[in-house]
Amino acid sequence: MSTPLAAPDRAPAGDRATGPVATVRRLVPPGLLFALPFLVLFALFMVWPLVHGAWMSLTDTSLSAHDPSFVGLDNYAEALGDADMWQAVGNTVWFTAVSTVPLVAVALAMALLVHTGLPGQWVWRLAFFAPYLLPVGVIGLLWGWLYQPDLGLYNHLLQAAGLDGFAWLSDKDVALHAIVVATLWWTVGFNFLLFLAALQAVPDHLYEAAALDGAGAWRRLWHVTLPQLRRITGVVTVLQILASLKVFDQVYLLTKGGPDGATRPVVEYLYDVGFTGYRLGYASAISYVFFALVVLVSAVQFAAFRRREK
Amino acid sequence: MLRASLASAAALLGGGALAGCGAAAASDPDTVRMWDLFSGADGALLDELIDIAAPDMPGTDVDRTVLEWGTPYYTKLAMASAGGRGPDVAVCHMSRLAGYAPLGLLDPWDTGLLAEFGVREADFADAVWQRTRYRDQTYAVPLDTHPFIVFFHPEPARKAGLLTRDGGLDLDAFSSPARFLEAGRELARATGKQGIAFGYVNDTAQCWRLFYGLYRQTGNDFDLPVGGTVTADTDAMAEVISFMTKLVGDRANPHRLDYPAALASFTNGQTGMILSGEWELGTFRAADPDLGAASFPTVFGTPAVYADAHSFVLPRRPDPDEAHRRRTHQAVAAVLKAGQTWAKAGHIPAYQPVTRTRAYARLEPQARYVTAADHVVLDPPVWFAGAGSDFQNAMSQVLQQALLDGLAPDRAARAMVDRINTALSQPSPA
Amino acid sequence: MTFADLRTRPARPTVSPLPAARRARRGAQRGPNLTLGPTRTARALGLAALAVLAVIWLLPMAWAVLTAFKSEQDASDPVHWIWPQAGFTLDGFRTVIERGDLPLWMWNSFFVSAAVTLVTVAVSAAAGYAFSRTVFRGRRVLFALTIASVLVPPQMLIVPWFQQMLTLNLVDTYAAVILPQTVAPVMVFILKKHFDTIPRELEEAARLDGAGHARIFWSVMMPLSRPMLAAVSIFVFIGAWNNFLWPFVSTSDPALMTLPVGITAVKDAYGVNYAQTMASSVLAALPLVLVFVFFQRHIVKSVATTGLGGQ
Repeated sequence: MSTPLAAPDRAPAGDRATGPVATVRRLVPPGLLFALPFLVLFALFMVWPLVHGAWMSLTDTSLSAHDPSFVGLDNYAEALGDADMWQAVGNTVWFTAVSTVPLVAVALAMALLVHTGLPGQWVWRLAFFAPYLLPVGVIGLLWGWLYQPDLGLYNHLLQAAGLDGFAWLSDKDVALHAIVVATLWWTVGFNFLLFLAALQAVPDHLYEAAALDGAGAWRRLWHVTLPQLRRITGVVTVLQILASLKVFDQVYLLTKGGPDGATRPVVEYLYDVGFTGYRLGYASAISYVFFALVVLVSAVQFAAFRRREK
Repeated sequence: MLRASLASAAALLGGGALAGCGAAAASDPDTVRMWDLFSGADGALLDELIDIAAPDMPGTDVDRTVLEWGTPYYTKLAMASAGGRGPDVAVCHMSRLAGYAPLGLLDPWDTGLLAEFGVREADFADAVWQRTRYRDQTYAVPLDTHPFIVFFHPEPARKAGLLTRDGGLDLDAFSSPARFLEAGRELARATGKQGIAFGYVNDTAQCWRLFYGLYRQTGNDFDLPVGGTVTADTDAMAEVISFMTKLVGDRANPHRLDYPAALASFTNGQTGMILSGEWELGTFRAADPDLGAASFPTVFGTPAVYADAHSFVLPRRPDPDEAHRRRTHQAVAAVLKAGQTWAKAGHIPAYQPVTRTRAYARLEPQARYVTAADHVVLDPPVWFAGAGSDFQNAMSQVLQQALLDGLAPDRAARAMVDRINTALSQPSPA
Repeated sequence: MTFADLRTRPARPTVSPLPAARRARRGAQRGPNLTLGPTRTARALGLAALAVLAVIWLLPMAWAVLTAFKSEQDASDPVHWIWPQAGFTLDGFRTVIERGDLPLWMWNSFFVSAAVTLVTVAVSAAAGYAFSRTVFRGRRVLFALTIASVLVPPQMLIVPWFQQMLTLNLVDTYAAVILPQTVAPVMVFILKKHFDTIPRELEEAARLDGAGHARIFWSVMMPLSRPMLAAVSIFVFIGAWNNFLWPFVSTSDPALMTLPVGITAVKDAYGVNYAQTMASSVLAALPLVLVFVFFQRHIVKSVATTGLGGQ
């Protein structure tokens, strides 16, 4: 109440002096009061879980009713020697690498094509973006059915073309890539929209200048459009990499991480360890390993970005 | 003032009210909420079973929820139990009990109350009842035993000279690895096609089921001290793996079948026999009304039949309602007593007053393998083993490499021991 | 209907004789920058490429719809896999709806998503305002903390969240599903940036009238922020509607499950029925896809404005 800025709703000065509400108002700066609801939720469901998770990773907490005991860094030591965890880290990195490229490139191609103004705008946008709106449960059921070895669409189509079908989700060498394809289908629309919005924002005068110079369509694409999209491509790639690192849903629903862990990402491993294996303490340690991975990748990207900006 | 913060505060309070709402929904006094993992024919049969049991549980509704079988089921059950708002009763494989009861995720049954409703310890096979106990309490009420057995088509089996005079399988013809393989060849000659089917490719349990039953037939077992290392007879393990490899590698038998393909090869008559869980009885009999079955033959000297058992458990409740618990006990007792119906699915009812009836003795082919219950071996009672566990999957993957990719039996045995030791090195969550 | 709406720059100079409204509507169709050029071959090639992509993208959905209208026998007929022998039927849909849990999960999803959206947007807008327009001790540190926490993947919090819900005795309640989803530092950041762009002069008049922060926030900032709040709300709602991992971890009781969790966790008691599975998938997909068809412009805009910060 000390600054005129904070004068509240025309309340008479006399009323302000009494009552608990007035006391709170007098003691707490109004700005803090605005931020408070968020800060409370933030403290409860972000800061506290982070701290408590770190503590749990130093204990042998389990799903049981028994009291946990402190085990120091045992969980981290175990994680470093845990072949299953490294397999999961490997799968996650591989999934990220293999999924990011098409998720950015195909989205860009789609956006460039749609942006040319060819007829049927509404249909293209619906076709490319609608899958993104499907709940992942539907993705699991739908792609499980598409990939069904005997009755699924894709093996039918392959066989109609005279080719052998795949054991899409049960062949170790195929399963992760099959999931990448499903992921591409599901989420490419999101990046597509981001590119499309960026294309709309390219200033017209650049094209007009290029046209005056007699530049053809391809030259305009290479010398105007793509350079203008460089920044947004970088941002989309960064976001995509981070999103891919966090993959869980579709893998869990399609293969449960199988066959024999060949598709299991880190997030599923921490779920499996914590809830299927009841070892919440160890799962917390895996959570922090996962966090370290995310931070590491973010830092590398940040450094790369800064270098390019220079 | 500050409507935004008030609104969010109100929403938070609303959240608290909603919490109460969720709990209230859980406690309809007449309804026993049950979770199970029976889909398909088993699921329909359980509905029938509950209908038949209805007169024995007047006024009670059983509300079933069928969850996805395997690991997801046990994960959800454990999490719901930990939360204290789980179902009133749940179906649980007995092999999983070792991972559940010590965690404090289950409440014990009141045996006095069960006795009041006509279900007593004496009504169960001793070996089965022992597995329901933890620290002098009963944590599971067995519904059935479901062994891993053999099914055959009687026609080719008779032609191959593998039947006894009363139409049962001549188990002597399978009493050693060499004889077993020879029987397969004779069956192949009799069908004009192939002999014995076993589906295991990419399966998370089948290899383990076959292996562990046979390994126990050698008279050995695993000693599994958590935190220590396994004591096992790797020679015996290699011997069993070697037999399994020869079995699926024999020219008379199909080589690389996955589970559904194995079912198909037996139902369409391509093979004369299949090594399978009895739960496929319904599928097989639909294809062959004269279907024959027998307890798994003793190949390595000591009778042992791999099996598991479905049982009822009580997910933990911090403050259970006494009257409702009583109703739950009554409902479970009623379902057990209606077990004759459950036998239609092929399962051996655990409640023995049912299997001792004349009506049961007339059940074909169920009565042919009821003796399997006398020699059942369940998964080792250790926290990480049991139906739908990662452990079964890990074991099956190693075995599959031996059967499919030519990993030598002794090396496969050592790889299994390594994987077991990895599991043992993890601290038990209990 | 078009991306023209997204432009923040002044309308481009144009030689088109069309009236302004029609120009605006056709803007995206004609496009100011025909990267493929005007030649017929180029247009044909572009159309062909688009058509191929669209077919690839629509095929899975068509297959799902086709299966959903088949009988179970036809759905699992390996020979006549396209056209059903017994004709089309609504049996799959009927069975799924009669079973009754799908509408329940839809309601749960709607309730949870609406609650998450309401709380998130209200709380984030207030915090965004506080960080943008007020002065209090610790403001910078708190804002920096908020920004830093964008790095924290929510997936790593499922274990402590679950433990927290155990402690609060909230496992298997709506509150458990909703509460952790309401912390959205990105939204605070986006809204703070948005408030920063609103000229301070607009508040001056109100301030001279003696209005405090509450009045300014409610009567000045909120009306000016409607499009932004709509964009953020849509984004949060879609995110909550499709969220899987935490609802999946925090609910085991099928009566409390959201749509994506329920349709995958609970199995029909009568075996694998592809037609029914696809019927429930189609029904589950319907709400948001319908919303998209009718509100395409708003959703597109929401993703474009919020998506870069929000993925």
